[in-house]
Amino acid sequence: MCHESRALHRRLGVAARLSPELERAGEKGTRIDRDKISNLDSGVSGGSGRLLWAGLCLVFGLLGGGQAIAEKVKLDPGQWGHEAGKDCVSCHSKASAGLASQWRESAHQSAGVNCMDCHQAERSDADAMEHEGRIIATIVSPKDCGRCHEKEYREQQGSVHAEAFSIIEARLPALAEHVGGSGMSAASCDQCHGSRVKVRGDGTLDPATWPNSGIGRINPDGSKGSCSSCHGRHRFSRAQAREPEACVRCHSGPDSPDKEIFEASKHGMIYAAHRDEMNLNAPEWVAGRDYTAAPTCVTCHMGAAGKLPSTHDVGMRNAWSLNTPVSRRQYLVILEDGARLELPLGSEIPKRGQELVRPDGRPGQVKSVITPERRRQAMSMVCLECHGKSFTEGFMNQFDTVVALFNDKYGTPAKAIMEGLLGAGRLTPTPFDEPIEFTYWELWHDEGARARHGASMMSPNHAWWEGMYLVGRNFYARFLPQARAIAGDRAGELVDAVIAGQAAHQWLIEPNQASAILGLEPAEGD
Amino acid sequence: MARLGVPLFITRHVLIALVVGGIGGVLVVAFLIEFDRFTSRNEFCASCHSMTYAEETYQRSAHFNSASGVRASCGDCHVSPSLLGATWDHAVGLKDLVKQLLGPDYDDPVINSLHLPEAAFAARDWFRRRDSASCRRCHVQEAIQGERANTAAIHREETEGKTCIDCHYNLVHRKVPDERIFKREAWNQMVEETFGLEPGEAARRLAQPE
Repeated sequence: MCHESRALHRRLGVAARLSPELERAGEKGTRIDRDKISNLDSGVSGGSGRLLWAGLCLVFGLLGGGQAIAEKVKLDPGQWGHEAGKDCVSCHSKASAGLASQWRESAHQSAGVNCMDCHQAERSDADAMEHEGRIIATIVSPKDCGRCHEKEYREQQGSVHAEAFSIIEARLPALAEHVGGSGMSAASCDQCHGSRVKVRGDGTLDPATWPNSGIGRINPDGSKGSCSSCHGRHRFSRAQAREPEACVRCHSGPDSPDKEIFEASKHGMIYAAHRDEMNLNAPEWVAGRDYTAAPTCVTCHMGAAGKLPSTHDVGMRNAWSLNTPVSRRQYLVILEDGARLELPLGSEIPKRGQELVRPDGRPGQVKSVITPERRRQAMSMVCLECHGKSFTEGFMNQFDTVVALFNDKYGTPAKAIMEGLLGAGRLTPTPFDEPIEFTYWELWHDEGARARHGASMMSPNHAWWEGMYLVGRNFYARFLPQARAIAGDRAGELVDAVIAGQAAHQWLIEPNQASAILGLEPAEGD
Repeated sequence: MARLGVPLFITRHVLIALVVGGIGGVLVVAFLIEFDRFTSRNEFCASCHSMTYAEETYQRSAHFNSASGVRASCGDCHVSPSLLGATWDHAVGLKDLVKQLLGPDYDDPVINSLHLPEAAFAARDWFRRRDSASCRRCHVQEAIQGERANTAAIHREETEGKTCIDCHYNLVHRKVPDERIFKREAWNQMVEETFGLEPGEAARRLAQPE
């Protein structure tokens, strides 16, 4: 593994940016394998092994914070247990009593953490309000949770989840406002992506932006995200957040049917059968140690597995971008302040210390860069808790093949055709004012995403019938005919020339390959 | 007079003075009652244009339209229940008239909105200093049942050291945050957005009373 990634580092010119120790370990020809990794915490390693150990610790430190178990709160218990909290509970046992009874079931209650510990606010806070004599805020932001849950806050800020609104804020109106309309965002897009919460001059929260528990919510204190997106308030049950249902509110439906894909996969099948063996309430939840029945979303995307630490940076283990017109293998760039950026393979990879521009326009300084191979390696470590190495590699190969197929056969040509039509003035720059723009949108955003997600999580049905089959049908039966009609006299140049040289589309020019697939009887005399 | 058994110092003059004084006293009290009643009427309060903004929100509130048919007037809430208290409140209220005549142009909706928070803070303070006496004119804390299951229990068990206005504010007039967390810049910005003013215009108008 290390040889391969070193070679890749050298090829891409990113050697030593990740960690000088790792490179030195590589030079000594040390091979990282599962046995070595499993030896790590016993500390039994000599010369080169020590360097390797240092390197790996650093890598896993970047990947997840350097611990294989859930982070204990380090804050002194004297820092919580606000004295006014019992008044809150007394009254809220009567008013909105559900809040208080959920809290009574929580680990917060057992630890002595009360309403005021989370909801207290400074007078100067933008969303501070007076409530029964106390200065509080309705919104408990990740920054507030981070007062105790430092590691989780650090990992979550900058993750693809935290950026879920920032990433789409500029392009959202062209769909939500034009195709939808006023009020649509608040009830739909924003409930998953998050809103930019507005505090009005009279101190109330603008109902166009609140209530909202979207995962990339921009909070009045400037922090991004919403812990309660996954951790249902006010019980904050460990088990609930580990269930696949924690993700379903957003990861379901036509554009990201991850719920349906998981349920239709072998993982989901086994999970449904052995849910009672998942040990969901365990204080620590390391796959392969605390449970082995089945993985959930959390297991692969966030969970601790063997020596791989858990992380609240949910996109970290994703080597591919699967929700773009063309998938890219992506670098994870970590900035000095902990913020993260995704950069596609092939773009210029920044050096340590270099200045970069974030999605929201602010500059940031590069602290470290994680290659797509490292991200894949982290994900694979989860697989290895239950599967063999060749099995894991074989699966990843099947997945990568589907993504590459989508890219090369459909995603890239369709994008090129759309850009050609736009460049030739055959399309207006306004999105969705021409039928082909819906066609193209669904090709990659819905059908293409389904195919790729289906392959990534082992639902054969989604990979094909709900995915690539629809991509193909769309491409051949809707997209190309619409594109040719729009291109008119320039169809040959703007449309057909784009796919003419591609072997994958050559079958189109051989009209006599009879098959019984359509259920039609062969013609008499054949 | 001695024949009637009344003390000798009750002379004719004293008697006349008593009768005149008594009638005069009754007339003064009657005048004060009528005066307070007259000046507590909605029509009187809203006879200044600047007060019509407060009237708009009031007319949309439950204190104007209640299912029971009880309607609280301006004075029911903003004037003390006792005669002396009411008289005192109206005497102090003269300053509003002075400000209306000599102060900023409260008839201007922008100026009115910009000055509203201070008026709200003063009104809340007035309620608090009187232990919400004018609320209690109609509402009896022990008798509050409410619509939700535990409203009665909350008013019995969770109100120690509190007076009505501590919890029940922003009921009738336009919402104004509590003074402790009030942010003038945010308020000004909201006023500017509402009236389509340039940023900074609100602060300028506040600084230069027109």
